[in-house]
Amino acid sequence: MQIIENNKIQEKVYTKKLQNGLTVMVIPKKTQKKYIIWGVKYGSIDFHFAIDGNEITVPDGIAHYMEHKLFEQSNGTNSLDVLTSIGVNANAYTTNNHTAYLFEDSNDKFFDALPEYMNYIQNPYFTDENVEKERGIIEQEIMMYDDYPDWKIYMNAMKAMYHNNPINIDVAGTKETIAEITKEKLQDAYHSFYRPENMVIVICGDFEPEKIVQEIAGKVTLQNLEQKVQRLYPEEPDEIVQPRIEAEMNITRPLFMIGYKDSVACENQIKKELAIDVIFNLLIGDSSTLYQDLYEQELLQSQPTLIYENSDTYSHLLIQGQSQKYDEVITKINEAIETLKQTGIKQEEFDRMKKKLYGEYVKSYNDAESIATSFLQNYFRKINPLDYFEEFDGITKEYTMQILKEVFDPQKQIVSIVKSKQ
Amino acid sequence: MEKKEKEIKQGIKLHLIKTDLFKTDMMSVILTTPLTRENVTKNALIVSMLRRGTANLKTQVEISKKLENLYGAGFECGVDKYGDNQLLRFYIDSINDQFAFDQNEEILKNALTILLEIVCNPLLENGKFKKEYLDVEKENLARIIESKIDDKDLYAYENCISNMYGDQGFGLYKYGYLEDLEAINVDNLTEHYHNLIQNSKLDIFVSGNFDESKVEKIVCENENIQKLKPRIENYVLNNEMTEDKPKVENVKEVIEQTDVVQGKLVMGLDVASKCEKVQFKAMLYNILLGSSANSLLFQNVREKASLAYSIKSVYVKQKANIFIRAGIEIANFEKAVDLIKKQLEMMKNGEFSDADLVAAKEYVKAGINAIETEQDTGIIYYIGQEISKTNTTLDDYRKNIDAVTKQDIIEIANNAQLNTIYFLKN
Repeated sequence: MQIIENNKIQEKVYTKKLQNGLTVMVIPKKTQKKYIIWGVKYGSIDFHFAIDGNEITVPDGIAHYMEHKLFEQSNGTNSLDVLTSIGVNANAYTTNNHTAYLFEDSNDKFFDALPEYMNYIQNPYFTDENVEKERGIIEQEIMMYDDYPDWKIYMNAMKAMYHNNPINIDVAGTKETIAEITKEKLQDAYHSFYRPENMVIVICGDFEPEKIVQEIAGKVTLQNLEQKVQRLYPEEPDEIVQPRIEAEMNITRPLFMIGYKDSVACENQIKKELAIDVIFNLLIGDSSTLYQDLYEQELLQSQPTLIYENSDTYSHLLIQGQSQKYDEVITKINEAIETLKQTGIKQEEFDRMKKKLYGEYVKSYNDAESIATSFLQNYFRKINPLDYFEEFDGITKEYTMQILKEVFDPQKQIVSIVKSKQ
Repeated sequence: MEKKEKEIKQGIKLHLIKTDLFKTDMMSVILTTPLTRENVTKNALIVSMLRRGTANLKTQVEISKKLENLYGAGFECGVDKYGDNQLLRFYIDSINDQFAFDQNEEILKNALTILLEIVCNPLLENGKFKKEYLDVEKENLARIIESKIDDKDLYAYENCISNMYGDQGFGLYKYGYLEDLEAINVDNLTEHYHNLIQNSKLDIFVSGNFDESKVEKIVCENENIQKLKPRIENYVLNNEMTEDKPKVENVKEVIEQTDVVQGKLVMGLDVASKCEKVQFKAMLYNILLGSSANSLLFQNVREKASLAYSIKSVYVKQKANIFIRAGIEIANFEKAVDLIKKQLEMMKNGEFSDADLVAAKEYVKAGINAIETEQDTGIIYYIGQEISKTNTTLDDYRKNIDAVTKQDIIEIANNAQLNTIYFLKN
């Protein structure tokens, strides 16, 4: 078992790769809460693949549909209900690039719930009837998202940025695509991707790492496929699709999003992410002149937020905010970026931002759920979150300036707007 | 976890929650005042004005830089509705001193001092709030009030409440009203602030790993605290016994239209029972009805009838209400209402198993444990106890939950009456 320790924040992570390729990570924490999350590297972008060279395309939204259906058991029970009855809080979610099944225990019921949890993820039970039943529920979920302006602006940004990468399609699919999902298609997708080598389990709580890993290992029954499964992603050009995309919704406060399409290849992802965080804070953080000016001029009411997402196939950063006069705000942000490129960063500001970010990373180790989720999501990016603390010393003003010039490229910028409907 | 409290002056209390579970210290100042149409908008505005600057840190930039240097200590403020009261909340969370680069930085002390300064020693010019700031904040608040409609789920929920309670107390919108903004100026707002800070119930919470006597000393010796006068607390005591729930003759049905893809349904129920320990029983009733994945609403409206993705019920103990909230296809309105009503009947008939009740108890107990394992949940629990003048220890809380029987739940079900059905559609 591999142990990585960080003395600054007094945390350790134990990692064991089981013989079948499934990775188990344990972050011990002396708290009443126990959290387990099981991630499958299978998300909405994985709908086109080849098994031993035979190409298969499944309908959009199938990974998410599977997440809903996996709880169904052959004995007629639903594992979500069973786990809830045991007294743990179970859930699941699907993203672009992974699906995750989890439960949280604060009642000392962890080991009561574990067998059911391990069982349902590894034993799907799809029938024509139960697949059909879910369609109405998922349709309502899709419609719920249709009323969320935040979702609209994000999806539109993806459409403006990506020509071919399937991140530009909705995680849940559409009413039309989910209509094509059948028991057989779910089975195919399950057998292709729900394999130990595609999976990681992360556990946080009051555990003895050796013991819990052994317990988990004893309950893993899934096998790797003999056939070779290859994910097929379309070529994605470096260029954006269109610089601007707009939508209208019945909202009073228009939303804006500035996005930069970024190159996927990167030497040190953590350093880059830290540098982007520093730039964002310098640019439009609480203490920035730009934010204060925009606030005083009543152009912004609250600080915009930064989202940085990247995987093997996509990478972008997004700045999202709310303003009646969004175009004025975007112009000012663009001016400030160019000015920062010219004038450079002051040492005092740089140090203050690093201190701020350090504090924020320390804070993220407060809670079993956020710790486990962070290790899981970063695992799929091949990152160990504890390394953030090590890389802090390595980011310099010069490096940050280099990232500023590379990433904040006007040619790669898109703007997504959700206006108020007149 | 250990909880201690100390009355610093009449009406001003310090609460210390000592715990070594977190890497952060969380501190909060909470002012509690009755919700009235006259003051609700002013109070919301005061929260915005206070974060603009203090006598010593004159701008938001100065405050932000200070906090950034304290390892990104996070400041937040806001207003909340708690029964018929409005809470004005100010929070800072900062990393514990042991994680500082230099052990002499005194993060907790500095953060606490800034927090008290923000609440008690605002930036005033010639004894009044700055007009330029007020103009901006009035505009900002106007935008917040207008944007109520942007979150359709919440909008429907708020509208159901205001239809049930009208223009007073719990029926009011916590951010106030556009038409009341105009009359607010630096004179009447400054006067209102002084009145609020000298007369409201004021609670200070500090949660984290610290030396209690040291924190007590920091607070008691703080000059902003010393300037405050003792006060007679003035707020509305709400709990499950204070609320009168007359028999509903006709269920009110309100249908409103706006531009939505999905219809938003809210059904408000009165819990009319005044039996002993009703809150614990009603809490479990609510979970069996619609709070957990095993609940009747989730199972029968979502899983079996596929009518909704999102459906849940929430219990508002201060007002003895339960609200059922669902996102449904607009054409399915009547079908959904009928099916939900059927679930209410099933509860009355006790159509749930003993195992369901046991599971519901576990569900509540997981929530009780969260009071210790989540720093903000701890503070929210104890301010709730403080305002409702109860002192339920976590152990008592668990025991009370364990003691609830199936018969108790049926009793609640038979005293839970539908008051209002609200539907937001296209």
